[in-house]
Amino acid sequence: MRLSAAAWISHGRLRRRLGYGPRSRLDLLRNLLTGLVRHERIEAPRARLDEMRFYAEHLIDYAKRGDTDPKAMNMANFWLTEKDLIHKLFKVLAPRFQAHAGNYTRMLQIPNRTTIDRAKMAVIEYKGNPFPPLPIPRRDSGKTLVNQLLKGYKDDVFRTKGAQLQEGHVGTAV
Amino acid sequence: MTKVPNLSSQTTSLRSIKFDSSGPPCREEHFTHVYLLLKKRLPFIVMAASCRKVWEMRGACRRFFSVSGFLNCKDGQPAKFKPPPKPVIIDETKPLAAERRFLSPEFIPPRERTHPFKFYLERRDMIQRRKVLNIPEFYVGSILSVTTADPYASGKRSTFVGLCIQRSGKGLGATFILRNIIEGQGVEVCFELYSPLVQEIKLLKLEKRLDDNLMYLRDALPEYSTVDVNMMPVPIPADEVPVNKMKVKMKPRPWSKHWEHPKFNIQGINFDFFLTDEDKKKVEEWSMPWREFDMMIEYDTSKIEKEIWEEVNAELKK
Repeated sequence: MRLSAAAWISHGRLRRRLGYGPRSRLDLLRNLLTGLVRHERIEAPRARLDEMRFYAEHLIDYAKRGDTDPKAMNMANFWLTEKDLIHKLFKVLAPRFQAHAGNYTRMLQIPNRTTIDRAKMAVIEYKGNPFPPLPIPRRDSGKTLVNQLLKGYKDDVFRTKGAQLQEGHVGTAV
Repeated sequence: MTKVPNLSSQTTSLRSIKFDSSGPPCREEHFTHVYLLLKKRLPFIVMAASCRKVWEMRGACRRFFSVSGFLNCKDGQPAKFKPPPKPVIIDETKPLAAERRFLSPEFIPPRERTHPFKFYLERRDMIQRRKVLNIPEFYVGSILSVTTADPYASGKRSTFVGLCIQRSGKGLGATFILRNIIEGQGVEVCFELYSPLVQEIKLLKLEKRLDDNLMYLRDALPEYSTVDVNMMPVPIPADEVPVNKMKVKMKPRPWSKHWEHPKFNIQGINFDFFLTDEDKKKVEEWSMPWREFDMMIEYDTSKIEKEIWEEVNAELKK
C-alpha cells in the first residue's frame, strides 16, 4: 500500500487487479516471488513487479522473526511454492538483511516488451545479491539551468577573488 | 501512606477485615487498592480522613488510661457518641492487579491517507470531553445505562439500559449501539460517545463476548438481548475482563444476514443446529483461506496504540 500521495495518487485504490480475482492475484504474485527468491533478480511486467514488491519486502520482515515463529513459517510456506526455498529464505536472506529495516529490494524500469505487447517492463532484485550491479541511469545534472547558473556564479567569484588577490599581493609587498 | 487518605467503608470482598484505627494502619498497597475502588466518591474522603485522625490519637493515649470518653468533651461532659468506623475489608489472597491498560478503540486512527494531525486535533477534543464526562471502559457485550438530554421526556432527560452490541466510528464521531427488549419489542439506540447530549454513561456489567459485533442478536431469541431495566451494577473485576463464552440460540432461518458467512467469523452461534449439509458446503465455498496470507490486509496497531495511550494518559492526568 502506498501511503504517500507523492508516490502514487491512487484515488482510494490500494492495489491493482491482476489475474482472475483475488485468489488468482495472489497465486500470480507468489509465483513471481518464488522466482525472485530463487534467482534474486528477475524481470517481468512492471505492474506485476510493483505489486509483488510489497510482498517481497514483507516476507523478509516475517523471515527475520526466525524459523521458530509459526506465523513466519506459515507465510513462507504459502508464498514460496518451491519448498526448498524456505531454507534459503530463513538462512540466507534473513541474516543478510538483519541490519536493515526495510527497503530490501531495488526496482528499475527497462525498455518495453516488443514480443507480445508493448508492456512496460521492469527488473527487481534483492539487494546484496552476487550479480554485477545494475546500470542505474543517472541524470546528467550539470546541464540543468540552476546548476549552469551556479557554475557561472562560482566562476565569477573565482575570477574576482583572483583579481583581488593579485591587487592585494601587490599592495602588501610595498 | 498519608498521601492516600480515603479509607472508607465501601469495599465488598470478604477475606480479611482491617480497622483503619488499629495501630499502624494497613499496608500502603491496601490503601491504594481501596483508593482505586473509591476514587470517585469524594465526599467520603474528607469524612474518613477526619475520623482517622481522631482514632490515631486515641490509640496513642490508650497506653496510660482510657480517655476514650473524655477526649472530645468539655468540662467533663461525656462526648456525643460516635460510631466506630466501619471495617475496611480487603481480599489479601488476590494480588493487587496493575491498573488495566485500556485504550478506547475510537482513539486508534483508521488506516487511510488522512493527515495524522486531523486525528490529533480530534483526540484533543475527546480528552477535553472525557475530563468532563466519565466514560467508563466498556466492550461489546457489556451492559450500560446511558442518560441523555431529551426535551420531550419528563425531567428533560431519558435513560436507556441495554447491551452494547456494536462499537463503531473513529475519533469524535464514535458511536455505540445499545440493545434491549422493552415490552416484547426489540429496541436499539445508537449513541454518540462524545455527543454533548449524553449526560451520564454508567457501566452496569463489564463483560466481553466471543465476537466484536453482536448484531446477530437481532435474529436470536429475545431472551439473549433482554436486560433488566432496573439492574443494579455488578462489581467490576480488578484484574481481567471476563469473557462470556455463551453460545446463542437463533430464531429459525432466514436471518437478516447470512451470519454463517466466514467474513463475519461468528463464534457466538453454534451453527451445527441451524445449517444443513448443503448450507455447510456453501459456507466452505465462501471461505477465503488465502486472506490470512495477504500481508496488505494486515493493520498492526500495537505501536500506534502504545504511542496514543501514552499521549492520552498524560493529557488526562493534567
